[in-house]
Amino acid sequence: MPAAPTPDAIAALVGHEFPGGEYTIAHWENFLLTECTGAEPLPDGLAHPVALFHVPILGAKTSIKEMFELGQAESDFSIGIESYDWEIYRPLEEEVAYRITGRVTAADRRSQDGRTFDRIQFRFDLAQPDGAPAARATITWHYGRGQRPNARTGDAS
Amino acid sequence: MNVAVGDQIPDWVMESVSAARMRTMAAILRDPNPVHWDARVVERIGFGRHTINQGPLGLSYMINMLHAWTGPRSIRRIFMRFPLVVLDGDRITARGRVTAIREDNGERLADCDIWLHRDGSEPPLAGSATVVVPD
Repeated sequence: MPAAPTPDAIAALVGHEFPGGEYTIAHWENFLLTECTGAEPLPDGLAHPVALFHVPILGAKTSIKEMFELGQAESDFSIGIESYDWEIYRPLEEEVAYRITGRVTAADRRSQDGRTFDRIQFRFDLAQPDGAPAARATITWHYGRGQRPNARTGDAS
Repeated sequence: MNVAVGDQIPDWVMESVSAARMRTMAAILRDPNPVHWDARVVERIGFGRHTINQGPLGLSYMINMLHAWTGPRSIRRIFMRFPLVVLDGDRITARGRVTAIREDNGERLADCDIWLHRDGSEPPLAGSATVVVPD
């Protein structure tokens, strides 16, 4: 198991920006995504809102793997979800090139219920091609340190 | 549409959470975490020979409930916590209750508590949502 990063190294992540970029939800992708949820395809080219997990991440030109590495995760199983907060200003649509930015907005070491973890929060903003805000997705994960993975929450996606 | 504080949102049921859907979801998300597609790994970390549903997939059941209730353009915000995992084979019911009705920018909004119900368990996911209530 690698050595845990120092609390200062974790705090220094605040302000880290991902490259940013564009992401277009293809029809096939939305179809499969919606099918995974157990729903029928939405009308009028609407994208299923569950896209607000992966579209911001990939559109900001990062990945789940890179986000794990950024916080120096001890393993895939050492990360738990605190919360996801999705604000939708306009329904997402297929075949729209969303402009996406992402950065770390909070990072600090905490101890709670006998475990130590680093709480890292990522914020992604999606804009329409004309720059109008479309959505904001805030991901808050816990990177467990020096213990067995949280047997209740297990994973981070 | 008539909505009042305390109203229950009609349930949305996922009869059996599917491991195959988790695998498709992992590919779409580019999610390398094996807990979503390799039951041997999950067994080693103490959840039995199952795969763990992605958090967003569990959340999507509540989105489907809200869409069925107020329409596919209605969701303005969702905040979700994930206290317990959902496993393949689980029978999950998305549930919700209206906590407030308010006006904002000419829209009638309903704030709701939303959660997933699983028999014999605390809610594995629980949070809140705001939706536009149609006329």
